Formats: sequence, C-alpha cells, structure tokens
Amino acid sequence: MKKVGTPEYDLSDKLKYHISALSTAAKEMALPLNITTHYPRERKRQPDCFRGYMLFDPERCISCFQCSFVCPANAIWMKDAPSGRYYPTVDYGKCIFCHFCIDSCPGGALRTTKIHDVAYKTMDEMFTSTEEMIEPPEIIREDEGVVDYVIDKEDLSLKRTKEKDELIVDIEPSQGVPMVSVCVDRGSCLACKVCDMICESGAVSSVVEEATMTVKMAIDAEKCTGCGLCVKECSMQILRLVRK
Amino acid sequence: MATVTEAGKGEAEWEVKIPEKKLKDRLFYENLKAMVIDTQMCSRCLTCVSICPSELIVNEEDIVDFPNYEEKCLDCGACVRVCPRYDYKPKSGLGDYIEFTAGKSKRFKGQDGAMGTEFIFSAIDMGLIDRGLFVDRDEQWRTSVFHVRGKEQLEKLPLGGTKYVFADILPELKKAVMFSKVGVGVVGTPCMVSGVRKLQEEYPVFREKVKLVVGLFCTENFHYNEVSKYLIEKGVDFSKLIKTDIMKGKFVATMTDEEVKFKVSQLTSILPSGCNVCTDFTAVESDVSVGSVGSVAGFSTTVVRTEVAKEIWDYIKKMGNAEVGEGKVEELDFLINHKKEREKNIKQ
Ligand SMILES: Cc1cc2nc3c(=O)[nH]c(=O)nc-3n(C[C@H](O)[C@H](O)[C@H](O)COP(=O)(O)OP(=O)(O)OC[C@H]3O[C@@H](n4cnc5c(N)ncnc54)[C@H](O)[C@@H]3O)c2cc1C
Ligand code: SF4
Ligand code: SF4
Ligand code: SF4
Ligand code: SF4
Ligand code: SF4
Repeated sequence: MKKVGTPEYDLSDKLKYHISALSTAAKEMALPLNITTHYPRERKRQPDCFRGYMLFDPERCISCFQCSFVCPANAIWMKDAPSGRYYPTVDYGKCIFCHFCIDSCPGGALRTTKIHDVAYKTMDEMFTSTEEMIEPPEIIREDEGVVDYVIDKEDLSLKRTKEKDELIVDIEPSQGVPMVSVCVDRGSCLACKVCDMICESGAVSSVVEEATMTVKMAIDAEKCTGCGLCVKECSMQILRLVRK
Repeated sequence: MATVTEAGKGEAEWEVKIPEKKLKDRLFYENLKAMVIDTQMCSRCLTCVSICPSELIVNEEDIVDFPNYEEKCLDCGACVRVCPRYDYKPKSGLGDYIEFTAGKSKRFKGQDGAMGTEFIFSAIDMGLIDRGLFVDRDEQWRTSVFHVRGKEQLEKLPLGGTKYVFADILPELKKAVMFSKVGVGVVGTPCMVSGVRKLQEEYPVFREKVKLVVGLFCTENFHYNEVSKYLIEKGVDFSKLIKTDIMKGKFVATMTDEEVKFKVSQLTSILPSGCNVCTDFTAVESDVSVGSVGSVAGFSTTVVRTEVAKEIWDYIKKMGNAEVGEGKVEELDFLINHKKEREKNIKQ
C-alpha cells in the first residue's frame, strides 16, 4: 500500500502560516466580519435573471402547450379556460425552477420574479392555478435592507444598503426566433385536417373542392405564430418549423 | 399571404387528391366498412389502422373497427387509399423473380432456414436499413411486434419462427418509418406485403424509408382467440409449446415433451374470411419471398425478386452467412393452385 505522508514544511513556512493565522484571529477580534444575510430583516439582492416564482400573462399566451411539453418535472398542466383556450398551471410541488418553460415560450407569456420564499400549508396549495399566476402572490415583507456580496481578489465582503429590493423584475420578455410552419412532404399529406383543427391562430386552411376531389391546404405565414402545435400533432410528421 | 423566406425548406400551399367515394354522402370509414369489412374481404393486414390519423383500431374480436367513427372519423380517405382489398386486384402465381433458390442461415435459428431473419440482419450489416420488424410472442403465444436493431436482441427473444396468429406489424411499421434515419426492413405475410406496397404507392415517406420487404409464403393465418381455443381442445399446452408448423397438410404443434398433429383441413371452420378470398401464396409483391415448401427440411425456399434483394443475397453469399441449397419450383405448384382456387370465393 502507498502511504501518503504529511507535507513537509521548513521552519520559515511554518512561521509564515502561524503569523497569518494569528493576524486573522486578531483582526476578527477587533472587527468581526459577518458574511451571512440576516433574513428576513434583510434580503440578498438577486440578479434580474433569478429563477424564481413565475408570473403569467394570458394576453401573450398562444396556447401552444410548449411549456408543458418541455417541463422536465411534469409540473405544468394545461387547463381549459372559459374562453376555450388552454393556459398553464404550475405545481410548485414538482417544479424544479429550471425555467425551461420560460425560455421556450414563443410568446413570452411566462416570466420570472425574484420571489423565492413562498410558504404553503398543504401540498394542494402548491398547485397554482392560472389565475393565481397572473398577479404576484401576497408577500409579507419584514426586510429593511439589501445585501450585496462583493467579491474582491482576496476575500468576500458584504455591502449593506438600506432599501427594499424590487422583487418583480421589469425585463423585456424574450422574443424568441420568429418561426413559421411549412410542409416538407406534400405527397405524404393525408388531408386529415388535424393541423387546421389544432391551430389556435387560424393560420391553417383546408378547403375541400368536391368537384375535383382535392383538398387545398395552406399555412398563412402572417398568422402563424410558430407555436409548433401542428408540427407535433401531424401523424405523418411532414410539418416543420422554419425561420420566418 | 406572406411568403416563406427560408426558401426551399418547405411549402406554404399544397393540394391533396382524395379518392372517389363509392358510397357518396357517407364517411370514408363507412365506405371501408361497407366494401371491405362487412363483405368479409378484410385480410386484417392493418394497413388502414397504420395510416389512420384518428382511432381506427382492431377490436377485441380481432376485427377492424372504429367504435365512435361518427364523431372521430376525419373523413380523410387515407384508409380507403391504402386498403389492398378496397379495390381488390387479387394476385397469384409465383410472380417475377431473378433467382429461385434456397438457403440456410449459419448465424440464426428460425422456422426453416432462418432466411427471413438472415435477410433483415444482412441488410442491417450492409447499412441499408437501421431497423427491422420481427414478430415476438408471449407465453400464451399472443403476438407482439419488436423493433430489432442489433443481433443481441435476437438472443433473448423467440423472434424467428412462425406464429400462426395475426400480428400488428403495419401499425409498427409506421412508427419505425418515423423513427428511422436510414431505412426499415419488414417481414410479413402476402397481405401485409400488399399493404406495404399500397402505402408506398400513396405516400412518398414510405417509398423513401421502407427499403426491404420480405414476404412469407402463406396459405392462411388465424385469429388468436379462435386458434388458441382449438389448440387447447386438441391438447396443446401453451406453456410447453415451442414450435408451430404446417407441413404436408398437417398442423404440427411441438411441445417440450410431445407433439400434437392434425390435418389443417380441420381448421377450415376457423379459417378467417379474409384468407378465404386470398389468392397470393408467394407474396408476389415482395423484394424477396421465403417459405418452407420448395426445399429440403432445414432450408428456406428463397425467391429473390428485386435488385435490392439480389444485392443482399449476394452479400449473404459473399460473407458466407448462409449455406446455399436448391429450390424446386414445381413443389410450389400445389399450394399456388390451391390458393388460386380461392378466386371463386371473391364476390364483387
Ligand atoms: C401465418 C403464416 C403462414 C405460413 N404458411 C406457410 C405455408 O403454407 N407454406 C410455407 O411453405 N410456408 C409458410 N409460411 C412461412 C414459413 O412458416 C416460414 O415463416 C418461412 O419459411 C420462413 O422461415 P425462415 O426460417 O426462413 O424464417 P425465420 O428466420 O424463422 O423468420 C420468420 C419470420 O416470420 C415472422 N413471423 C412469424 N410469425 C408471423 C406472423 N404471424 N405474421 C407475420 N410474420 C410473422 C417473424 O417475425 C420472422 O421475421 C407461413 C408463415 C406464416 C407467418
Ligand atoms: S400553423 Fe402550426 S405553428 Fe403556426 S400557429 Fe398554427 S399550429 Fe402553430
Ligand atoms: S396534420 Fe399533417 S397529414 Fe394531416 S392534413 Fe395536416 S399536414 Fe396533412
Ligand atoms: S380518419 Fe381517415 S383514415 Fe381514419 S377511418 Fe376516417 S377516413 Fe379512414
Ligand atoms: S384489408 Fe387491410 S387495409 Fe383493408 S380494411 Fe382490412 S385490415 Fe384494413
Ligand atoms: S392467407 Fe395469408 S396472406 Fe392471405 S389474407 Fe390470410 S394471412 Fe394474409
């Protein structure tokens, strides 16, 4: 067996390390340094891109189900609204705050906040309905200051400021890349009109011409929001999203 | 209408031709039902089930069905476009071929010479296809379909060998076509081979992806419920059953400790109505047909029909994957004629 011994220091090394340890101890005695945030009296300032509790804007949602498809924790359930549209609900008992949903939403309907401290009494309460996601939740705040961590090359120090950090971030929702659905293999189209039925934006038309026994299919690029629903639903997999 | 800027990537407008309806003002499914299913012409090839974008299924009685069609049938006509029995043009005889021969795989064990299995795996080895579809079975001899991509999968499963019960191959073929990057190989009875050809005729994606169609010689197949009931009455214990075969007019069920044998003609009462109007014994539309009659025991009679199949056959010989035997054309005459006689059962 190979034995690992203690490192060998010569006398000058030993002296150097002892002096450094003693001086740190003396410094702490004279001027104690505290690197923990006194939550809830103060909050650590989170970056704007912090992955926290999510808000939802129904005006921007195109009911494409993208968020629910992409969610690796299966936390998003699309529920039908009185308008007949489908909107996301989030089960925070499952959500792992990856925000893949936010990143993949083509309409920018989901956005982040810096809220990370929501308390629930039961598991059922963690199931957050669409309505509950539109406005920020009620937060009782006891904080009077914000803490910024400052990292200089030697050490980590705290900067305390007497202010309340804004938890609702005002950032532009991501625009995504504008996409449009096209048919890549017209010959394999069944003319089943599933794409037409599923499209939320009225971009697909399928017109049956009885006289010639043909179905005229068309996708209006102006109306198409690039949600990809038709691409997912086409059983022949002949629709693709391409850049507009 | 705005144009798509990423030119060449796809089309924003296209047209699809749909077939004429024989029964006007009725749904396409009602047409299929009236012309094929209710007339007892349906072969249960499941070509229609494979293409239907809605809920056309095969029901508990093993019959093609669409329970809530009034609501769910999209009236697209795909089923009617692909059904080989809708505008039935019965095929028979030996068909065209490049080489009539026999083979015995050195690598695999099968029903006869395992040439069905050999053709699929040689095609995988050649890089022609990346998956093949095989019929698997459970302890009770119920069939299921297996996507095979490598030889290891064969070692664990009884994938070679004939199961005399229908298998849902074509619905799996559609999935395989969607998954496959290179191409798909499929083994099936003559009715399924005709179904694959219809799919290829109608839809380019099947022309592009289905690279190899191996046909089996076939006199008849059976519905699971019916044949299992019959075999149990005859004293067959499924837990001990290792092989079923039809040889010289006899059905032979080989179990671990005994053999049950009886004349196939006794099975006439449970002969499926679709088989009763089927005239194709040799799968004339396949790339290569394999069967038992026409060669000595242990060998599969092999009818190489197309250039693709010829290429694979040459590869099999070059690699020494199989022993080459002798095929005797005249030995097929009896069964070819036997099936041709079923033409008289077709009412049109
Ligand atoms: C229903 C049926 C009836 C047949 N009738 C005759 C006949 O009358 N005369 C004759 O000479 N030969 C008949 N055959 C063919 C014969 O039984 C062998 O399948 C053939 O000789 C190939 O043997 P092999 O050893 O080369 O193939 P193997 O390497 O054993 O491969 C056999 C292939 O058959 C497939 N298969 C097994 N069961 C089914 C099924 N139920 N449906 C579709 N595919 C299946 C397997 O997936 C496998 O790919 C019939 C086959 C079937 C499935
Ligand atoms: S055409 Fe397809 S991708 Fe475009 S909006 Fe409609 S469903 Fe979405
Ligand atoms: S869903 Fe697909 S197959 Fe059906 S009509 Fe639309 S493009 Fe054609
Ligand atoms: S949906 Fe289309 S394929 Fe399915 S049964 Fe109806 S017409 Fe036939
Ligand atoms: S013959 Fe085949 S395609 Fe036609 S109805 Fe029967 S199962 Fe469907
Ligand atoms: S005899 Fe064979 S090929 Fe013909 S319908 Fe029956 S199973 Fe299919």
